[in-house]
Amino acid sequence: MWRKSALSLLALALAATSLAAQTPPGAGPSAQDSALSRQLKARPGDSLGRLEVPEAAGRGVAAVTARDNSALVRALEEKIHCTCGCNLSVYTCRTTDFTCTTSPAMHQLVLARLDSGMTEAQILDAFQRQYGEMIFMSPPRHGFNLVMYFLPIVGLGVGLGLVVGVVKRWGKVAARDRVERAAAPEGVATPEELEKLKHVLEHFEA
Amino acid sequence: MTELGNICLWIALLIGLWGAAVAFMAGRTHRADLGRSAERSIFALWGLLVIASAALMHALLTHDFNVEYVAAYTSRNLPVFYTWSAFYAGQKGSLLLWALVVTTFGSIALVVNRGKYQELTPYVAGTIAVIAVFFIATMVFASNPFERLGFTPPDGRGLNPQLQNPGMVFHPPMLYLGYTSISIPFAFAVAALVSGKLDTGWLHAIRRWTLLSWLFLSCGIVLGMWWAYVELGWGGYWAWDPVENASFLPWLTMTAFLHSVMIQEKRGMLKKWNIGLVVGSFLLSIFGTFLTRSGVISSVHSFAQSNVGYFFLIALVLFAVGGFGLLWWRWPMLQAEVQLESMVSREAAFLFNNLVLILIAFTVFLLTIWPIISEAVRGTKVTVGPPVFNLVNVPLGLGLLLLTGIGPLIAWRKASAQNLKRQFLWPTVAMLVTAAALAAIRMSYASSILAYALGAFVTVTVVQEFVRGVGARHRLHGEMLPLAFVRLVGRNRRRYGGYVVHLGMVMLFAAFAGLAFKRETEVTLKPGQSVDVRSPYGWTYHLTHQGISQYDELNRFVTAASMDVSKDGKYLGTMKAEKRQYLDSMGQPTAEPATEVAIRSDAREDLYIVFAGSVQGTEQAVYKIVINPLVWWVWYGGLVLAFGGLITLWPSAQGPTPASRRRAEPAGYVAQVGA
Repeated sequence: MWRKSALSLLALALAATSLAAQTPPGAGPSAQDSALSRQLKARPGDSLGRLEVPEAAGRGVAAVTARDNSALVRALEEKIHCTCGCNLSVYTCRTTDFTCTTSPAMHQLVLARLDSGMTEAQILDAFQRQYGEMIFMSPPRHGFNLVMYFLPIVGLGVGLGLVVGVVKRWGKVAARDRVERAAAPEGVATPEELEKLKHVLEHFEA
Repeated sequence: MTELGNICLWIALLIGLWGAAVAFMAGRTHRADLGRSAERSIFALWGLLVIASAALMHALLTHDFNVEYVAAYTSRNLPVFYTWSAFYAGQKGSLLLWALVVTTFGSIALVVNRGKYQELTPYVAGTIAVIAVFFIATMVFASNPFERLGFTPPDGRGLNPQLQNPGMVFHPPMLYLGYTSISIPFAFAVAALVSGKLDTGWLHAIRRWTLLSWLFLSCGIVLGMWWAYVELGWGGYWAWDPVENASFLPWLTMTAFLHSVMIQEKRGMLKKWNIGLVVGSFLLSIFGTFLTRSGVISSVHSFAQSNVGYFFLIALVLFAVGGFGLLWWRWPMLQAEVQLESMVSREAAFLFNNLVLILIAFTVFLLTIWPIISEAVRGTKVTVGPPVFNLVNVPLGLGLLLLTGIGPLIAWRKASAQNLKRQFLWPTVAMLVTAAALAAIRMSYASSILAYALGAFVTVTVVQEFVRGVGARHRLHGEMLPLAFVRLVGRNRRRYGGYVVHLGMVMLFAAFAGLAFKRETEVTLKPGQSVDVRSPYGWTYHLTHQGISQYDELNRFVTAASMDVSKDGKYLGTMKAEKRQYLDSMGQPTAEPATEVAIRSDAREDLYIVFAGSVQGTEQAVYKIVINPLVWWVWYGGLVLAFGGLITLWPSAQGPTPASRRRAEPAGYVAQVGA
């Protein structure tokens, strides 16, 4: 039953749509009417219609070729930082931020350098000479940058050392406390316990 | 109205200074009249900031474009929903929101704790007043939301198109609520340190605030991820952007605190560490705002940069010196009451959990500020991108997931071999079976296999706890299983809410592991042309470009590219990806066209289509097509996480545990010594 109702509604909607498409211009078009009329205008009969307002679709783009996104090009561009001020690689920026004009230009530079016969390492070197180290998405692993790579490992080592050291030291104290408690006569506190009690009482009376 | 708002800010500044001064005097002299005056100052601050906020909102809604802030972030044709959100879209408005929320939470904290913690209350009021004064002074002297222009433009510049998204309406306030609510635990920590009242009483006062803050931060972070995913069009949700990191850092330290505070409440240990975590979390929340507002590190959030960075830097230094200085002063009073007995115990597991969380926080902090360090030391600016963050954080994250399973089940003090066998036999079996099964189907990424195996381990530990708890209630009380389940959770919300949070974390890790299988391609298609895209699950999507249409919609002109989609021959529907050209009330473009992606989502994967643009103004379109496995689990994992947080936060009749209550009283120390 509900399927029949849905189909009827769909038929009604289609009929309304075709009616809307036939509404003459100047008859107070709504947003929907305007959409349909624009679409009809954009299809002059050939297979490749033109947009009525091309600039509203953003910066014009070139047709993508298989080479644009080949494994080598992608691998290279994922290592290079786009210099437009974003925080993205050239590959991510040019396939994400379609308002950016920097990343497509850097992409063309990568293709040109590949065409000139440069190897991957030579291309990366060329970019570094041009822009400095900031061109890489990961700082090169030498010199002062090693501090950045090794500090987390040093932190892990120091942290582990501290935790294990503290646990062992506390473990010894706890074991000694247990032995002393076991040795002490019923109702008699150890010197440490008395010290703690004294400290608490002083704090309590202050 | 804006003049009234401006006057309110000036009066609030003076009252805040008065409140801070009398509050600390009240604490030192124990004068009740000064204490009352300090408390009333906070209420007055709140009232004045409410009026100032109402004045700004009035200016926004009435399009008073003579006000610089209104002209910069709204336009006549901006929908009311987004006009409302423009309140915090820019720096000036968000400073006002910060100040308003700090004083709101401060007032609530003072009312809720009236008659309790009398030695702490004046210092709490004083610290809140100091924080509020900082934000009000920044507004008054550097970034006034009521600043007027020398002329009145006919229309405003409108809201950044990327902010015209429902995710952006809720994401910033959630993060602000998270950041600001850390001020209350910080205020209590300062109060405990200044007054020397360092038993667990102050921890009881802040328990809900820390959970609330953690919950707001969690929701804010997940909403931010959702916004980035649906709005930015790069097919991901986390890019280790400095501003993302700024919200993640206090979340990490708060998560560490929520775990380590249990050791202090149960065993009287880690007192210095816990105060350090609270102070550190507050400083990181200020650091986050500093990073966002100063523009010190370039990021996609550059629309939020301006000149208040120095104010935040000075505040950061002052709060750090003050907070850690007080901790150093009270160091001798913060000795542990008992000592840790074994490496194989819950205390040790929580210590390792804290170690990993803080190490992740340290790494994220270091990598975020490394470009500044490198520039300062060598004069060479470097870029630290996602590959470096992932290199360090993936193994640490997996270690954290393992500890998520171990921590809740291992015994306090010292676990016996029998305890370990009883608790970890089935989780270990589940982990090994999962790893073997994934290896058998030739899953290609070791880190993903490990993540799913550890996820199975944690899931079984949680399920086992629920099954055993419900079974015990069923046997002891003869309750029906659903009733036993409800009562089990109701009687120990903190524990079982925590387990639900852990399940949420497993869902999130499962989603993150799925990123390894992401597939993406770029194609250029004429109308009627098709492309086949193979899913990592083995099926094939057949996508046919239908054409491009253009039409008006609300405050924008839309260019929509449509694709018919079928999966292995079965028609799924039409997906429409858009370019939106936002217009002002005179029909002029306000910014470059924004991208609106088309997403078809289910529990297994998302089909994500981006309309990159048209070729030479024709209907030939360039598409980016992404298959993103398991993204659904990020959003629902976030929901489960929030649900678990709410269970934990829900008021319980029992209040703190007996051990924790005992530690809140001076005599409790004697009881511990004798135990």
